[in-house]
Amino acid sequence: MTEERVSVRFVWIAVAMGVAMAGLLCRLVYLHLGANDRDRKQVTQTRVYRETLAVPRGTITDASGARNILAVNAGVKDVWVDPAPLVASNRVKETAAQLASVLGVDLNGVEARLDKPGRHFAYVARYVPEDRAAAAARLQLPFVHFADGMARSYPQGNLLCHVLGFVNYDGVGAGGVEQYMNAYLKGAPGLLESALDGRRREMFDRRTQEIPPQDGADVVLTIDVNLQFMVERALDTAMERHRARAAWAILQRIRTGEILAMASRPAFDPNNFKAATDDEKLNRAIGDVYEPGSTFKVGVISGALNEGIVKPGDVFDCENGRWLYQNKILRDYHPYSRLDVADILKKSSNIGAAKIAILLGSERLDRYLRGFNIGSRLGLDLPGEESGILPPLSKWSAISSSRIAIGQGVGVTALQMLGIVCAIANDGRVMKPYVVREVVGNNGQTLLRREPQALGRPIRVETAALMRTLLTRVTEDGGTGVKARVDGFRVAGKTGTAQKVVGGHYSETDYMASFVGFLPADNPDIGLIVVVDDPQPLHTGGTVAAPVFGEVAEQAVRYLGILPPPPAVADNNPSYPRTSR
Amino acid sequence: MAKRNRKKTQAGFMFPVPVVGFVALLAGVGLMHLCMQSRAEALGREIKTLEARRDQLKERMQQVQLAWARMQSPGNIERALKEHGLVMTWPGRDQIVRVRPDGTAESGAAERRNGERLARVDRVVMND
Repeated sequence: MTEERVSVRFVWIAVAMGVAMAGLLCRLVYLHLGANDRDRKQVTQTRVYRETLAVPRGTITDASGARNILAVNAGVKDVWVDPAPLVASNRVKETAAQLASVLGVDLNGVEARLDKPGRHFAYVARYVPEDRAAAAARLQLPFVHFADGMARSYPQGNLLCHVLGFVNYDGVGAGGVEQYMNAYLKGAPGLLESALDGRRREMFDRRTQEIPPQDGADVVLTIDVNLQFMVERALDTAMERHRARAAWAILQRIRTGEILAMASRPAFDPNNFKAATDDEKLNRAIGDVYEPGSTFKVGVISGALNEGIVKPGDVFDCENGRWLYQNKILRDYHPYSRLDVADILKKSSNIGAAKIAILLGSERLDRYLRGFNIGSRLGLDLPGEESGILPPLSKWSAISSSRIAIGQGVGVTALQMLGIVCAIANDGRVMKPYVVREVVGNNGQTLLRREPQALGRPIRVETAALMRTLLTRVTEDGGTGVKARVDGFRVAGKTGTAQKVVGGHYSETDYMASFVGFLPADNPDIGLIVVVDDPQPLHTGGTVAAPVFGEVAEQAVRYLGILPPPPAVADNNPSYPRTSR
Repeated sequence: MAKRNRKKTQAGFMFPVPVVGFVALLAGVGLMHLCMQSRAEALGREIKTLEARRDQLKERMQQVQLAWARMQSPGNIERALKEHGLVMTWPGRDQIVRVRPDGTAESGAAERRNGERLARVDRVVMND
């Protein structure tokens, strides 16, 4: 080979390599500077590290000084398995048995999920509490894995379940305070943006964005856990004793409208909300509209007294328990010949109350009832509050006044009924009820603070005072509510025994027993309503609901440190001049 | 052509002093950058570890809070009382000391007056 040929070859190789290098250079320049944003973006994206910083939901606490925790976020584990190698190693039965026993899940279900040879992922259990997950981890089972998670926990179990509500699997409040205050409770998740190195690790000095998460705010309720427990225990006892279908109660601070306890039975465990039926989830205290029966006489008689149409001593003919009006018969539970207004309330005469309502007239009756917020929501800070049913005046029939006077043809919630009685206790002022006292941000700053708010004053101070005296007589000897008495206190209230409408007719066997009242009668502090749905065999408000009222009220005054009035006031029992009507 | 005097010519190439200074400065800055980079990396790693630890502690605190709340729930207390056969009563008049905001107790007269009023409602069983 000549020296010239070698040199030519060298030149060709050099040219070829030069061309190749130039090509690569062009490609490199094109990739970096050319119009290929999409490719460049893809490359950049593979190196971007983006993490959403989850925030724990705020806690919900009660009103007591101890700030008892009612709802809190807690770490949980999702337990999952890689079924393919598990099946290959022939350990499905053994693993399933051990996991089912430790995690407290159904063995057959676990076995079925694990016995999938073609799959590499199967949940065994989700939202497992840390202690159980730790016990499962100690077994050191092969192909079993644990993933961190967060779940809402309700340490008090089913206590206050209807007020608290629950949080669904998407972390959104789906009932009660959890739903109503979701915007405050949920907080704002943070964001972290950074770059990854070749080994897919975050390069800390390349953090381009770091938005710190804002923890959810804490919600403080007006409800006291201990009072709530007293109320719920009393309801449970009543449900069992009277074989009732349902029962509910509300305890309210009269001067402010704060709800101190609100309970409904049947109840559910919000930790396991999926297992609860719609019936169990219903907060009957605000979501069940019922015919109030005789408790409604309170609103009617206070209206008539406020208008000056009747006086406590005015006597009405109660027709010996059977009165034909507009071709319809109205009956009394016990027959009475003549009763004054005070005794109509004390003995709960339907005929007497109907005659008072007729005297008052439809328009004024409608005005007073609407003044007491019947037919409209009181604006409680919970979802699901019903407005009740009060037909428009134009749709009233000739007998409507006489039937509405005894709590028929009208629908109320327990909250509305309690509102009427609390207004009487509060010098005629209707207060807006509320369950959320304040919302506190994670830095201790108060974001929301509720103050007592008056909604209106349908009756005068003097009328309210008079009604307080008349209602006190209901729990005295000869009244229908003697079983609501509390030792050392004068209790004002009213019993209600309403026939339920079954198949379009008033039932002779299904009743709604209720008692609504307040104490101390002379200087009211707390109001309480108890409603028992379909109690058997006893069914009157005086025998079913009044004892529950007495039991709860007795403990509540002790717990709240409410003192009985001085004896001079307690013995006060006025009499009224009697006038025939 | 005259012969070059090798003794009079300089041996080797001398870098100009400014260039040397500039290169040294560059090297210094480079080293400092590397040093700071590794320091930042170390700090970042430490921050990440501390962040993880903080999250862990937060979670632990929530677990403890939850356990504590469960323990002191009225239902749990009542269960425990039943288990141990204990019955609680509300405190009697002479067992209550009402303290005013200024730290003093109520006067004897007021205590007696309240006592008379409370006498009828003393010692109600709480969990029978």
